[in-house]
Amino acid sequence: MPLSDEHAAALIRELSTGRFIWDAFILVLVVFSALFVPYQLVFVGADALRGFQFLYVIDLIFIADIVANYRTTIRQRGTEVSDPAVCRRSYRRGMFLPDLIAAVPFDLLVWAVAGDAVVWGVPLVLAVRLLRLFRVVRLFAILRRWEAFSWSNPAIIRVAKYFVSILLLIHWLASGWFLAALAAGFPPDSWVIRAGIEASEQTVQYIRSLYWTVTTMTTVGYGDITPATNTEYLLATLIMLMGASLYAFIIGSIASLLGGINATKNRHFAKVEAVGEFLRSKSVPPALGTEVRNFYDHVWERDRGVDSNKVLNDLPEPLRLKIVLHLADTVLSTVPLFAHTSPLLRNALLNSLESCTFTPGTVVVNEGERGNDLLFIVDGNLEIVTAESDEPLGSLGRGDYFGFMSLALGERRTASVVSRDYCELLRLSRHSLEQIREEFPEFGDVLKRVSAERSEQTTDLLMNGVVL
Amino acid sequence: MEIKTSDAGNVKVLEFEGHLDTNTSPDAESAINALIDGGTNQLLIDFSSLEYISSAGLRVLLATAKKLKAGNGAMRICSLNDTVKEVFDISGFSTILSVSSDKDEALASF
Repeated sequence: MPLSDEHAAALIRELSTGRFIWDAFILVLVVFSALFVPYQLVFVGADALRGFQFLYVIDLIFIADIVANYRTTIRQRGTEVSDPAVCRRSYRRGMFLPDLIAAVPFDLLVWAVAGDAVVWGVPLVLAVRLLRLFRVVRLFAILRRWEAFSWSNPAIIRVAKYFVSILLLIHWLASGWFLAALAAGFPPDSWVIRAGIEASEQTVQYIRSLYWTVTTMTTVGYGDITPATNTEYLLATLIMLMGASLYAFIIGSIASLLGGINATKNRHFAKVEAVGEFLRSKSVPPALGTEVRNFYDHVWERDRGVDSNKVLNDLPEPLRLKIVLHLADTVLSTVPLFAHTSPLLRNALLNSLESCTFTPGTVVVNEGERGNDLLFIVDGNLEIVTAESDEPLGSLGRGDYFGFMSLALGERRTASVVSRDYCELLRLSRHSLEQIREEFPEFGDVLKRVSAERSEQTTDLLMNGVVL
Repeated sequence: MEIKTSDAGNVKVLEFEGHLDTNTSPDAESAINALIDGGTNQLLIDFSSLEYISSAGLRVLLATAKKLKAGNGAMRICSLNDTVKEVFDISGFSTILSVSSDKDEALASF
């Protein structure tokens, strides 16, 4: 839905490309902050307070993000809200507070007041920097927004969400595990001393902590690093509890996600299987069974397992029409009828045309029957045959149509039309035809122009005695 | 079916009455062929009294038009009733055959 001009200038569209790129950038910074801040606190320590503090550059970017969020549209009940006041209010009441706490460098304030005071073995300034972990809520807000993009696959976004959450959780728990020893001032029985890494490089300390966290959370538990102090025991117990439940949760989620990604395909083939089983139980000849299977393959290629009629019936009329128009792109360009219609008449026709699929070798219309419909070929090749002649009298393909003569003259068809391969046809019944002609007098002219374009084919057939 | 023949200058006018269908087409065809064989090469088919035309009738018209064209002649059709006009429109015959709304217009177009 387009926004009005006055609003458009002040607002950033929630699903615009610019917002998407910015969000992607913010996402990277969120993950970086969530990893870097605890790492600095636990493993780098007081050294982190020297040198260039690029963390504050990131803070500036997040303050810019708050301004951008203030001006970004929101969706309410499925529509994009274009009133800036509503957007602002919604942001103020929602994500503004965590965004603000995470973006404002409160640690500078602490630095000014307390200097490089150390609490529990860590510099207080670095501890206050942990407020930046509030940024993680932004990560989920961004991923939720991305789920609304038409091209995004919600299953993949969910996988990404799990993956990032687990990554961050493990990182934080590993940091916490090292902090347990650090805050106690490395007592001789703490795991860091027993592992002999109290003087090792930060990376060694981090890798050991990470290793212990993962072995514990995944319930592997080699036992080479074990808790000894009360804090360590408590922490280890907590991590084991989390690990066990998380483990079950992850495995379950991944299984259902992977199942979900291919759900439509699985459903389609389960149906094919069931039909095959049924045919076998009824002793249907294998050749016919193969034909049925081929038909389902064709349907899968065509619809990708989605019953388009069912989906379309779910949608309200105007939305359905938009989708049908899009889907009918090939139809509109191949079926000559649509070349001359007004949009209104085209819509009426699209709603009345019935789509039908024919497997190879099917008699689409029969010699001797009275024509009750017009048939337009969207795809496939067909042959005109009669009982008397062995050779086909002619062929029909994409963009051709038949049924006019029999319908207009009220005569019986003098030939049959048989499909050579899979054919997609659109049928316009006599009833719909009459209804549309009544409603749209111009339809008579359309029919006249269409038949004028194909008059040669029609007359050639007619001279050969073919009335279709 | 009845066929009335008259002259309008160089043009032979054939007025068809009733139905031009499988049963009556052979008569119509032989009547027309007799005229063509007799040297007529400008033909006006007046359908003002024709009620119905079938595919067989259309074939006769098409064949006649071809025959006349080959001999540098011409065929015009005029005064179609609604039913017949509909058939002409939908089959595309309105565009391949010269159809006029009345006799005077048709005669003027030769």
